[in-house]
Amino acid sequence: MSDLALLGWTFLWLSFLAVGGGLGVLPEMQRQVVTIHHWVTAQQFVDGYSLAQLSPGPNMLIAIFVGYRAHGLPGALVAGVAMFVPAATLAAFIARHWDSLRERPWVRAAEGALAPIGLGLMAGGAYTLTRSAVYDAFTAGLALVAFAILWRGFLPPIAVVLLGGVAGWLARA
Amino acid sequence: MMRVRLARLIQVFLLTGLSSFGGGRSAHLHDAVVVRRGWLTNAEFLQSFTLCQVLPGPNFSNLAVTLGYRLAGAGGAAGAAASVLVPGAIVLLILTVIYSRTGLAEDARHFLHGMGAAVVGLLLMTAARLARGALRVPGAVVVAALTFLSVGPLRINTAVVIGVMLPLSLLLTRPRRQAPLPAPPAEPPP
Repeated sequence: MSDLALLGWTFLWLSFLAVGGGLGVLPEMQRQVVTIHHWVTAQQFVDGYSLAQLSPGPNMLIAIFVGYRAHGLPGALVAGVAMFVPAATLAAFIARHWDSLRERPWVRAAEGALAPIGLGLMAGGAYTLTRSAVYDAFTAGLALVAFAILWRGFLPPIAVVLLGGVAGWLARA
Repeated sequence: MMRVRLARLIQVFLLTGLSSFGGGRSAHLHDAVVVRRGWLTNAEFLQSFTLCQVLPGPNFSNLAVTLGYRLAGAGGAAGAAASVLVPGAIVLLILTVIYSRTGLAEDARHFLHGMGAAVVGLLLMTAARLARGALRVPGAVVVAALTFLSVGPLRINTAVVIGVMLPLSLLLTRPRRQAPLPAPPAEPPP
Protein backbone atom coordinates (compact mmCIF):
# COMPACT_ATOMS: atom_id res chain seq x y z
CA MET A 1 0.00 0.00 0.00
CA SER A 2 1.40 3.39 -0.89
CA ASP A 3 2.14 5.65 2.04
CA LEU A 4 -0.57 8.12 0.94
CA ALA A 5 -3.21 5.39 0.94
CA LEU A 6 -1.90 4.23 4.30
CA LEU A 7 -2.29 7.79 5.59
CA GLY A 8 -5.93 7.92 4.43
CA TRP A 9 -6.69 4.48 5.85
CA THR A 10 -5.13 5.35 9.21
CA PHE A 11 -7.18 8.54 9.64
CA LEU A 12 -10.31 6.76 8.45
CA TRP A 13 -10.22 4.18 11.22
CA LEU A 14 -8.92 6.70 13.74
CA SER A 15 -12.01 8.83 13.05
CA PHE A 16 -14.26 5.93 14.02
CA LEU A 17 -12.39 5.50 17.32
CA ALA A 18 -13.27 9.04 18.37
CA VAL A 19 -16.10 8.12 20.73
CA GLY A 20 -17.19 10.91 23.04
CA GLY A 21 -14.98 13.63 21.62
CA GLY A 22 -11.91 13.80 19.46
CA LEU A 23 -9.68 14.13 22.48
CA GLY A 24 -10.14 10.44 23.26
CA VAL A 25 -8.45 9.39 20.06
CA LEU A 26 -5.28 11.44 20.67
CA PRO A 27 -3.22 8.66 22.34
CA GLU A 28 -3.87 6.26 19.46
CA MET A 29 -3.31 8.98 16.86
CA GLN A 30 0.03 9.86 18.41
CA ARG A 31 1.00 6.19 18.51
CA GLN A 32 0.13 5.80 14.82
CA VAL A 33 1.52 9.00 13.31
CA VAL A 34 4.60 9.40 15.55
CA THR A 35 5.69 5.99 16.83
CA ILE A 36 4.54 3.66 14.06
CA HIS A 37 4.52 5.64 10.78
CA HIS A 38 6.93 8.51 11.62
CA TRP A 39 4.84 11.08 9.70
CA VAL A 40 5.64 13.69 12.37
CA THR A 41 7.83 13.84 15.48
CA ALA A 42 6.37 13.96 18.99
CA GLN A 43 7.19 17.67 19.25
CA GLN A 44 5.60 18.42 15.86
CA PHE A 45 2.49 16.55 16.98
CA VAL A 46 2.11 18.86 19.98
CA ASP A 47 2.82 21.91 17.78
CA GLY A 48 0.19 20.70 15.32
CA TYR A 49 -2.35 20.32 18.11
CA SER A 50 -1.63 23.89 19.22
CA LEU A 51 -2.08 25.16 15.66
CA ALA A 52 -5.38 23.26 15.43
CA GLN A 53 -6.44 24.98 18.66
CA LEU A 54 -5.66 28.30 17.03
CA SER A 55 -7.83 27.49 14.00
CA PRO A 56 -11.62 27.68 14.04
CA GLY A 57 -13.44 24.35 13.83
CA PRO A 58 -12.74 21.00 15.48
CA ASN A 59 -9.30 20.07 16.80
CA MET A 60 -9.42 16.89 14.76
CA LEU A 61 -8.40 19.12 11.87
CA ILE A 62 -4.95 18.13 13.14
CA ALA A 63 -5.34 15.37 10.51
CA ILE A 64 -4.69 18.09 7.91
CA PHE A 65 -1.48 19.13 9.69
CA VAL A 66 -0.17 15.57 9.80
CA GLY A 67 -1.26 14.91 6.20
CA TYR A 68 0.54 18.03 4.96
CA ARG A 69 3.73 17.20 6.86
CA ALA A 70 3.71 13.70 5.40
CA HIS A 71 2.71 14.32 1.77
CA GLY A 72 2.09 18.01 1.13
CA LEU A 73 -1.28 19.19 -0.21
CA PRO A 74 -2.48 15.76 -1.42
CA GLY A 75 -1.70 14.38 2.02
CA ALA A 76 -3.65 17.19 3.72
CA LEU A 77 -6.65 16.55 1.46
CA VAL A 78 -6.60 12.76 1.89
CA ALA A 79 -6.20 12.93 5.68
CA GLY A 80 -8.89 15.61 6.07
CA VAL A 81 -11.45 13.79 3.91
CA ALA A 82 -10.72 10.44 5.60
CA MET A 83 -11.12 12.00 9.03
CA PHE A 84 -14.44 13.76 8.45
CA VAL A 85 -16.44 12.53 5.47
CA PRO A 86 -17.14 8.86 6.32
CA ALA A 87 -17.99 9.62 9.97
CA ALA A 88 -20.24 12.53 8.94
CA THR A 89 -22.03 10.33 6.39
CA LEU A 90 -22.71 7.74 9.07
CA ALA A 91 -23.94 10.49 11.41
CA ALA A 92 -26.39 11.78 8.78
CA PHE A 93 -27.68 8.26 8.17
CA ILE A 94 -28.23 7.58 11.87
CA ALA A 95 -29.74 11.03 12.49
CA ARG A 96 -32.41 10.02 10.01
CA HIS A 97 -33.42 6.95 11.99
CA TRP A 98 -32.52 8.12 15.48
CA ASP A 99 -35.97 8.93 16.81
CA SER A 100 -37.20 5.37 16.27
CA LEU A 101 -33.92 3.73 17.38
CA ARG A 102 -33.85 5.67 20.59
CA GLU A 103 -36.93 3.94 21.97
CA ARG A 104 -35.15 0.59 22.20
CA PRO A 105 -33.88 -0.15 25.71
CA TRP A 106 -30.52 -1.44 24.50
CA VAL A 107 -29.83 1.73 22.57
CA ARG A 108 -30.50 3.74 25.72
CA ALA A 109 -28.23 1.37 27.64
CA ALA A 110 -25.49 1.93 25.05
CA GLU A 111 -25.78 5.70 25.54
CA GLY A 112 -25.14 5.26 29.25
CA ALA A 113 -22.42 2.68 28.71
CA LEU A 114 -20.39 4.84 26.35
CA ALA A 115 -20.26 7.88 28.63
CA PRO A 116 -17.61 6.65 31.13
CA ILE A 117 -15.57 5.08 28.31
CA GLY A 118 -15.58 8.40 26.45
CA LEU A 119 -14.47 10.12 29.64
CA GLY A 120 -11.61 7.64 30.17
CA LEU A 121 -10.49 8.11 26.56
CA MET A 122 -10.52 11.88 26.99
CA ALA A 123 -8.46 11.67 30.15
CA GLY A 124 -6.04 9.41 28.27
CA GLY A 125 -5.79 12.10 25.58
CA ALA A 126 -4.98 14.74 28.19
CA TYR A 127 -2.32 12.41 29.63
CA THR A 128 -0.71 11.87 26.22
CA LEU A 129 -0.48 15.58 25.50
CA THR A 130 0.74 16.32 29.02
CA ARG A 131 3.67 13.96 28.57
CA SER A 132 5.01 15.98 25.63
CA ALA A 133 3.88 19.49 26.52
CA VAL A 134 4.69 19.61 30.24
CA TYR A 135 8.42 19.08 30.69
CA ASP A 136 9.53 21.42 33.47
CA ALA A 137 8.27 23.38 36.47
CA PHE A 138 7.31 26.37 34.30
CA THR A 139 5.12 24.46 31.84
CA ALA A 140 3.53 22.49 34.70
CA GLY A 141 2.71 25.73 36.52
CA LEU A 142 1.34 27.26 33.32
CA ALA A 143 -0.95 24.26 32.76
CA LEU A 144 -2.25 24.49 36.34
CA VAL A 145 -2.87 28.24 36.11
CA ALA A 146 -4.68 27.76 32.79
CA PHE A 147 -6.79 25.02 34.39
CA ALA A 148 -7.71 27.25 37.33
CA ILE A 149 -8.64 30.25 35.16
CA LEU A 150 -10.79 28.13 32.85
CA TRP A 151 -12.41 26.28 35.75
CA ARG A 152 -13.58 29.56 37.25
CA GLY A 153 -14.62 30.78 33.79
CA PHE A 154 -12.65 34.04 34.07
CA LEU A 155 -11.58 34.00 30.42
CA PRO A 156 -12.69 32.18 27.26
CA PRO A 157 -10.48 29.22 26.23
CA ILE A 158 -8.96 30.93 23.20
CA ALA A 159 -7.77 33.85 25.37
CA VAL A 160 -6.16 31.48 27.89
CA VAL A 161 -4.39 29.52 25.15
CA LEU A 162 -3.05 32.71 23.54
CA LEU A 163 -1.95 34.12 26.92
CA GLY A 164 -0.16 30.81 27.54
CA GLY A 165 1.71 31.43 24.29
CA VAL A 166 2.68 34.93 25.39
CA ALA A 167 3.82 33.60 28.78
CA GLY A 168 5.94 30.95 27.07
CA TRP A 169 7.46 33.55 24.80
CA LEU A 170 8.24 35.93 27.68
CA ALA A 171 9.75 33.14 29.78
CA ARG A 172 11.63 31.55 26.86
CA ALA A 173 10.04 28.24 27.73
CA MET B 1 -38.41 22.42 15.77
CA MET B 2 -38.71 24.37 12.58
CA ARG B 3 -37.45 24.02 9.05
CA VAL B 4 -34.85 26.56 8.08
CA ARG B 5 -33.87 27.72 4.61
CA LEU B 6 -30.60 26.14 3.49
CA ALA B 7 -28.87 29.43 2.67
CA ARG B 8 -29.76 30.80 6.11
CA LEU B 9 -28.57 27.61 7.80
CA ILE B 10 -25.22 27.75 6.03
CA GLN B 11 -24.81 31.41 6.89
CA VAL B 12 -25.42 30.78 10.61
CA PHE B 13 -23.21 27.66 10.78
CA LEU B 14 -20.39 29.43 8.90
CA LEU B 15 -20.43 32.27 11.41
CA THR B 16 -20.64 29.88 14.34
CA GLY B 17 -17.82 27.72 13.01
CA LEU B 18 -15.59 30.73 12.47
CA SER B 19 -16.18 32.18 15.91
CA SER B 20 -15.79 28.90 17.80
CA PHE B 21 -12.20 28.17 18.39
CA GLY B 22 -10.29 27.10 21.43
CA GLY B 23 -12.71 24.50 22.77
CA GLY B 24 -16.27 24.42 24.06
CA ARG B 25 -17.54 24.37 20.53
CA SER B 26 -20.85 22.66 21.21
CA ALA B 27 -21.67 25.60 23.45
CA HIS B 28 -21.34 27.97 20.50
CA LEU B 29 -23.76 25.88 18.43
CA HIS B 30 -26.20 25.76 21.34
CA ASP B 31 -26.05 29.53 21.60
CA ALA B 32 -26.61 29.95 17.86
CA VAL B 33 -29.53 27.57 17.22
CA VAL B 34 -31.32 27.45 20.62
CA VAL B 35 -30.63 30.62 22.59
CA ARG B 36 -30.43 33.20 19.85
CA ARG B 37 -32.75 31.88 17.16
CA GLY B 38 -35.03 29.38 18.87
CA TRP B 39 -34.72 26.97 15.94
CA LEU B 40 -34.60 24.02 18.37
CA THR B 41 -35.66 23.52 21.98
CA ASN B 42 -33.14 22.66 24.66
CA ALA B 43 -34.44 19.07 24.73
CA GLU B 44 -34.08 18.67 20.98
CA PHE B 45 -30.55 20.02 21.13
CA LEU B 46 -29.62 17.68 23.98
CA GLN B 47 -30.90 14.68 22.03
CA SER B 48 -28.64 15.53 19.12
CA PHE B 49 -25.80 16.24 21.52
CA THR B 50 -26.13 12.85 23.20
CA LEU B 51 -26.42 11.11 19.86
CA CYS B 52 -23.11 12.63 18.83
CA GLN B 53 -21.45 11.36 22.00
CA VAL B 54 -22.56 7.86 21.10
CA LEU B 55 -21.64 8.11 17.43
CA PRO B 56 -18.11 7.40 16.30
CA GLY B 57 -16.34 10.27 14.62
CA PRO B 58 -15.30 13.82 15.46
CA ASN B 59 -17.99 15.25 17.74
CA PHE B 60 -18.28 18.78 16.49
CA SER B 61 -18.77 17.94 12.82
CA ASN B 62 -21.19 15.16 13.80
CA LEU B 63 -23.17 17.64 15.88
CA ALA B 64 -23.31 20.01 12.92
CA VAL B 65 -24.49 17.13 10.72
CA THR B 66 -27.29 16.02 13.04
CA LEU B 67 -28.48 19.57 13.77
CA GLY B 68 -28.29 20.40 10.06
CA TYR B 69 -30.34 17.31 9.27
CA ARG B 70 -33.03 18.24 11.78
CA LEU B 71 -33.27 21.80 10.49
CA ALA B 72 -32.99 21.37 6.73
CA GLY B 73 -32.81 17.71 5.72
CA ALA B 74 -29.94 16.01 3.89
CA GLY B 75 -28.80 19.24 2.22
CA GLY B 76 -28.73 20.87 5.62
CA ALA B 77 -26.55 18.09 7.01
CA ALA B 78 -23.99 18.49 4.22
CA GLY B 79 -24.13 22.28 4.30
CA ALA B 80 -23.73 22.47 8.07
CA ALA B 81 -20.76 20.08 8.10
CA ALA B 82 -18.97 21.94 5.30
CA SER B 83 -19.65 25.28 7.00
CA VAL B 84 -17.96 24.32 10.26
CA LEU B 85 -15.08 22.39 8.64
CA VAL B 86 -13.88 24.17 5.52
CA PRO B 87 -12.93 27.60 6.97
CA GLY B 88 -10.94 26.01 9.79
CA ALA B 89 -9.30 23.59 7.38
CA ILE B 90 -8.12 26.50 5.22
CA VAL B 91 -6.80 28.48 8.21
CA LEU B 92 -4.97 25.45 9.60
CA LEU B 93 -3.52 24.64 6.19
CA ILE B 94 -2.11 28.16 5.90
CA LEU B 95 -0.65 27.94 9.43
CA THR B 96 0.83 24.53 8.59
CA VAL B 97 2.45 25.82 5.40
CA ILE B 98 4.00 28.72 7.32
CA TYR B 99 5.15 26.33 10.07
CA SER B 100 6.73 24.05 7.47
CA ARG B 101 8.38 26.82 5.41
CA THR B 102 10.01 28.90 8.05
CA GLY B 103 10.78 25.98 10.29
CA LEU B 104 10.16 27.48 13.65
CA ALA B 105 11.73 30.74 14.63
CA GLU B 106 12.99 30.64 18.21
CA ASP B 107 10.27 33.09 19.27
CA ALA B 108 7.48 31.05 17.71
CA ARG B 109 8.77 27.90 19.37
CA HIS B 110 8.59 29.49 22.83
CA PHE B 111 5.12 30.75 21.98
CA LEU B 112 3.93 27.29 20.89
CA HIS B 113 5.41 25.65 23.99
CA GLY B 114 3.51 28.08 26.21
CA MET B 115 0.35 27.43 24.22
CA GLY B 116 0.85 23.67 24.51
CA ALA B 117 1.01 23.92 28.31
CA ALA B 118 -2.15 26.06 28.40
CA VAL B 119 -3.91 23.56 26.14
CA VAL B 120 -3.10 20.84 28.69
CA GLY B 121 -4.94 22.93 31.29
CA LEU B 122 -7.89 23.25 28.90
CA LEU B 123 -8.03 19.50 28.30
CA LEU B 124 -7.90 18.72 32.02
CA MET B 125 -10.70 21.20 32.65
CA THR B 126 -12.88 19.72 29.88
CA ALA B 127 -12.37 16.19 31.23
CA ALA B 128 -13.20 17.36 34.76
CA ARG B 129 -16.38 19.09 33.59
CA LEU B 130 -17.60 16.07 31.65
CA ALA B 131 -16.86 13.74 34.58
CA ARG B 132 -20.01 14.88 36.40
CA GLY B 133 -22.33 13.81 33.61
CA ALA B 134 -20.50 10.62 32.71
CA LEU B 135 -20.20 9.04 36.17
CA ARG B 136 -23.85 8.56 37.09
CA VAL B 137 -24.09 4.77 37.24
CA PRO B 138 -22.31 3.01 40.14
CA GLY B 139 -19.21 1.36 38.73
CA ALA B 140 -18.87 3.90 35.93
CA VAL B 141 -15.89 5.41 37.70
CA VAL B 142 -14.11 2.02 37.49
CA VAL B 143 -14.86 1.81 33.76
CA ALA B 144 -13.56 5.35 33.23
CA ALA B 145 -10.41 4.70 35.30
CA LEU B 146 -9.60 1.41 33.56
CA THR B 147 -10.12 3.04 30.15
CA PHE B 148 -7.84 5.90 31.11
CA LEU B 149 -5.08 3.61 32.42
CA SER B 150 -5.22 1.40 29.32
CA VAL B 151 -5.02 4.11 26.67
CA GLY B 152 -2.92 6.59 28.70
CA PRO B 153 -0.03 5.14 30.73
CA LEU B 154 -0.30 1.57 29.35
CA ARG B 155 -0.66 2.71 25.71
CA ILE B 156 -2.89 -0.17 24.65
CA ASN B 157 -4.56 0.08 21.23
CA THR B 158 -7.73 2.16 21.62
CA ALA B 159 -9.88 -0.15 19.48
CA VAL B 160 -8.99 -3.07 21.74
CA VAL B 161 -9.77 -1.02 24.85
CA ILE B 162 -13.20 0.00 23.53
CA GLY B 163 -13.88 -3.60 22.51
CA VAL B 164 -13.18 -4.84 26.04
CA MET B 165 -14.70 -1.97 28.03
CA LEU B 166 -17.97 -1.61 26.12
CA PRO B 167 -19.44 -5.02 27.12
CA LEU B 168 -18.26 -4.40 30.68
CA SER B 169 -19.91 -1.00 30.76
CA LEU B 170 -23.09 -2.36 29.16
CA LEU B 171 -23.32 -4.80 32.08
CA LEU B 172 -23.71 -1.79 34.35
CA THR B 173 -26.28 0.05 32.24
CA ARG B 174 -28.19 -2.93 30.80
CA PRO B 175 -31.96 -2.62 30.70
CA ARG B 176 -33.56 -4.11 33.82
CA ARG B 177 -37.15 -5.11 34.38
CA GLN B 178 -37.67 -3.76 37.89
CA ALA B 179 -35.18 -0.98 38.28
CA PRO B 180 -35.78 2.18 36.31
CA LEU B 181 -33.40 2.79 33.44
CA PRO B 182 -30.31 4.79 34.28
CA ALA B 183 -30.61 8.26 32.87
CA PRO B 184 -28.81 8.71 29.56
CA PRO B 185 -25.66 10.81 29.86
CA ALA B 186 -27.44 13.99 28.91
CA GLU B 187 -25.42 16.53 30.82
CA PRO B 188 -26.37 20.09 29.94
CA PRO B 189 -24.41 21.51 27.02
CA PRO B 190 -21.18 23.03 28.28
